[in-house]
Amino acid sequence: MLRKEQNDLLTQTGPGTPMGDLFRRSWQPVLLAEELPENECPPVRVKILSERLLAFRDSHGRLGLIDEFCAHRGVSLWFGRNEEAGLRCPYHGWKYDVTGQCIDVPSEPVESGYCQKIKLKSYPLIEKGGVLWAYLGPPDKKPPEPSYEFATVPEKHRFVSKRWQESNWLQAMEGGIDSSHVSFLHRGDLHNDPLFKGARGNQYNLGDARPVFEVVESPGGLYIGARRNAENGHYYWRITPWVMPAFTMIAPRGNHSVHGHFWVPIDDQNCWTWSFDYHPIRELDAAEVQAMRDGKGIHVTYVQGSFRPSANKDNDYLMDRKAQKEGRYYSGIAGIAMQDASLQESMGPIIDRTKENLVSTDNGIIMARHRLMRAAKALAEKGITPPGVDPEHQKVRSVAIVLPHDVPYKEGAKEALIAKPGVAPASV
Amino acid sequence: MASESARMASAAEARFRIDAPNSKPRAIKIIALDRSSETVVKRLAQATWNRASFFTASAFASAPQPAGSFSMTGWLSDVAGRTKDLMDEVASADLVVMVATAGENASAAAIIGEAASAKRVNTTGLIVGSAGVSDEALAKTLAQLRPWSLMLVIANADDYIEDMLTALRA
Repeated sequence: MLRKEQNDLLTQTGPGTPMGDLFRRSWQPVLLAEELPENECPPVRVKILSERLLAFRDSHGRLGLIDEFCAHRGVSLWFGRNEEAGLRCPYHGWKYDVTGQCIDVPSEPVESGYCQKIKLKSYPLIEKGGVLWAYLGPPDKKPPEPSYEFATVPEKHRFVSKRWQESNWLQAMEGGIDSSHVSFLHRGDLHNDPLFKGARGNQYNLGDARPVFEVVESPGGLYIGARRNAENGHYYWRITPWVMPAFTMIAPRGNHSVHGHFWVPIDDQNCWTWSFDYHPIRELDAAEVQAMRDGKGIHVTYVQGSFRPSANKDNDYLMDRKAQKEGRYYSGIAGIAMQDASLQESMGPIIDRTKENLVSTDNGIIMARHRLMRAAKALAEKGITPPGVDPEHQKVRSVAIVLPHDVPYKEGAKEALIAKPGVAPASV
Repeated sequence: MASESARMASAAEARFRIDAPNSKPRAIKIIALDRSSETVVKRLAQATWNRASFFTASAFASAPQPAGSFSMTGWLSDVAGRTKDLMDEVASADLVVMVATAGENASAAAIIGEAASAKRVNTTGLIVGSAGVSDEALAKTLAQLRPWSLMLVIANADDYIEDMLTALRA
């Protein structure tokens, strides 16, 4: 459980909040690069960390992320004309460049210099790994570009998607570090999902529903190791890295791709769940990419023209009681992503953690909250840069590995936990 | 009309949730395995808890045991220094938390773990102070705790224990 003030601290990420300030020290994924596919394409609304912004790619290919609303009469610039190196408000023709600087106020004489006095709030927006990343923090604290491995491998090695989740970011993220639910909620998919099935590790998962956990602090967050029995004095370990504040990875299976998530607050009651698959040393094949597009693995299909999952709360997530009874879907919901999201959204927009009853196997979640609170406090009181901002902290990998009983995973998987270009992932 | 899931997940519906206790306090026994951990456990014991109780095992763990005559009776101490029967304390626990300092001798974990196993009580091992010791020293402590811990946490600082106990409603 958390006290109410602790829950508020962790779940509120708007401007001026301690957790909002912590998020604002890292680059956040805000759009798929394909959402701004070409110069002068239509602008896209972006809501992140409770701030309403507008992203656009101007005539020269420069990326901008600016206040959504025109400084003149408050019109949404989503209606704007993206032309001649700026975004022009269609109401009275005020025009802004990618930095938010007003560059034309048609009603005022150019000589007056009036437009120089108008500037919208703007943030840096960069493209890396098929994703557009924004930095909403203090300009003098801007960190180096993100170094997560999925964003650094060749384009054909990765697939990235995002979906709108109708819950606070924290209850979504906590699902990403809660390894103990896999043997229940997702058990049907270990047999059936084309992106998971066939791995030897699945048998260990299904054969031992009571894993033993080891939670270890890492420089950027945590490693959460789940240990299950394997053959002849060995354990099967699945190791989940969490990089603060909101990056998690899932241990791989066989020769399938490595995958994970970002959990990025839209506002306090909604978040973007980013899902990525990649393979460090090979291209994803056509069947894999098609499966991901079809909503397999950790991805979803969408309501047309949106990033809302086609199974959503408005259609009861397409609950299938027959499949639930037959064990095809343990919860009755199809697909790993929506199995998680449906339950997390059912908690309500922001779960009241004063009422929960955590148990010992929830120590990964308890430790993550502890580290977030500690880091937010250190940032607020002493200006200490939070863990996870350093690019070295981001160069992590999830690991599935079989080790002898007497070898600690932090030692046995030490090299495998570090992302190294051209090196195959440790997977079983 | 909105689906049942859509209506029931709304913030407006949250106010109709049952506002009554949904659990009883669990008995959690926190046992320091070495001298350094004792200081941490004794400090924690000063706070107000629901049903947490605090013990030390280090004095007994480090004492030589005559072969064949070992008894778990009087094997623990509470923070006031009174001796306690290990089996009695474990039997009345919902969870046993063993606290060890990285690099210190945690051999008492085997005896406590065996008692917990016999009584079917879950155990959590907590290693604190890992930031300041070598991997080798940490591995030694880990090796003593791992066989007897269903959950093992390696924390850089001891302030984690308080948050963990609060989270578990200790």
